Amino acid sequence: MSAPVQIASFDRKTALILHRPHPVVEAITRQLAQLGVRCEGSWPELPADAAPVADLLFYDADMGHDGQFPWAPGTAPMPAIALIGSEAPGRLAWAIRLGADAHLLKPVGSGGVFTALVIASEAFARRSAMRDELAGLRSRLEQREVVAEATACLMLQGNLPAEEAYARLRREAMTARLTIEAMAEKIVHELRAGHVHHRS
Amino acid sequence: MALENDTVAIGVLFSAGGPYAAIGREGLAGTLLAIDEINATRQYDFVLEAHIRDPQGVTENYARLAADIVASSGAKHIVGCTTSWSRKEIIPLLEKRNTMLWYPCPYEGFEAHEQVIYLGACPNQHVLPLLDFVLPRFGADGYLVGSNYIWGWETSRIARDVMEAAGGRVAGERYVPLGDVDIDRIVEEIRVKRPAFILNTLIGPSSYAFLAAYHALGQADRSFDPSVRPVLSCNFAEPELAQLGEAATGQYAVSPYFQSLQTTENRQFLEAVTRHAPETGPVSAFFAQAYAAVHLLAAGISATGTDDAGTVRGALARRSITAPFGPVEIDLSNNHAVLTPRIARATASGFEIVADRGLAIRPDPYLAYAARFAQPASHLRVVK
Repeated sequence: MSAPVQIASFDRKTALILHRPHPVVEAITRQLAQLGVRCEGSWPELPADAAPVADLLFYDADMGHDGQFPWAPGTAPMPAIALIGSEAPGRLAWAIRLGADAHLLKPVGSGGVFTALVIASEAFARRSAMRDELAGLRSRLEQREVVAEATACLMLQGNLPAEEAYARLRREAMTARLTIEAMAEKIVHELRAGHVHHRS
Repeated sequence: MALENDTVAIGVLFSAGGPYAAIGREGLAGTLLAIDEINATRQYDFVLEAHIRDPQGVTENYARLAADIVASSGAKHIVGCTTSWSRKEIIPLLEKRNTMLWYPCPYEGFEAHEQVIYLGACPNQHVLPLLDFVLPRFGADGYLVGSNYIWGWETSRIARDVMEAAGGRVAGERYVPLGDVDIDRIVEEIRVKRPAFILNTLIGPSSYAFLAAYHALGQADRSFDPSVRPVLSCNFAEPELAQLGEAATGQYAVSPYFQSLQTTENRQFLEAVTRHAPETGPVSAFFAQAYAAVHLLAAGISATGTDDAGTVRGALARRSITAPFGPVEIDLSNNHAVLTPRIARATASGFEIVADRGLAIRPDPYLAYAARFAQPASHLRVVK
């Protein structure tokens, strides 16, 4: 009983339920209590202080609109679960645009919340990882020019062929524990500032 | 709302035939004993009338027969089901006809339906305490073998997490079709892999065949004796042990109830069994939990004067009855029973309890709190 168990656990997490007072809120609250999740209902706005720090979000897809959220559609900073009553295409399109990581169909009975939380958390983790990777790639793309410039500088400075100059850039980056882009930035910056020193 | 007359219809839905008949008959016998006892003693101002159907272990029969019970008798309560599949089959009917299921078996958790009262243990009351006992004594590299359905899959998955968290490794994991007795290859794999223990979630004939084959291996090679590499079960019942005898001796089981429990409640219960049904063989948790379910149900009806499902459920709040395994109450946040797990070793004459901390454990069907230490229900008295 004392062994730590690695099972999807939501113990001690907090959830916001953006939905008007309704039996669906009570049903979700009851299921969340079984999972150790503390929750708070809210309508028509998300509480400005609590929203950004909540771990989980349930939002009404039937009556919801963009203005209720302090973040841009698709960028909820936590797993987001759409509560869907009307399956009208327009409402589904909005629920998707807002960034549903999972959904629950109304009415909600005695089950479904745990499944939605597990799927939404997984989708959120994937979404976050992809966003971070994309940001990294984008920044590297933007810095392609500075890497070329730094390589050219090293070529001129050391009278080196391109491969060797690039190899030196990599080596110096590794020694300094910097990315190639950051090292290139540093070299170019130093050159521009006139701190040219002999590189052996 | 008052009772329309002094007879309350109760549905009884257990399989006395089919692959898990030995267990189904336990639930049936426990239910009928409690009904007989309640009717004979006239302790309440109503009598219970059993409406019995036998699905013969065929999952597809359950929903049809449950509907038949409700339509023909107007029963608002059904005591029954052994497998999770059969339970899930009848849930739509329970919702549609506002009927309550009293489910008396241990199961794999991850459900908490408002119209089901769960009298059996869920994983934080069976497999977790069992592994907590076994890992420090035998090691963490277990072998997982089960019948190919949700009980085996999920109980094994939980065990895998526990073993890996303890630094162990799963030595092997095999599933066999329900009712299949062709398990020689599994025993051979165990012989080669030499796991610290085997977690057995096989049911019925598959389990009996496995235990017999493993016993034979232990006779041929003492390093597979139960004292070295035991087999663990979370649903091994007394009538099965009686049938297996020597072949299961030394293996471990976990349950809130064993017939050998030395308590006043259990002595009185076993006397009642002898009095009302003298032909009864060994009794198990499946029997005792079904028996307790009917007593809880009757107490709920008596307290509210109605058999309406929701009203009776509401009456269970903070109500404790004396079950054969001690005082039992239902945690209404998830409709599961608060239970005290006991660990026993099989002997030729029955189960010998080897660990009983006397701590009632709150049900945690979603293992939401499994990462924390076990949380004994502090308001329940320690029963020894």
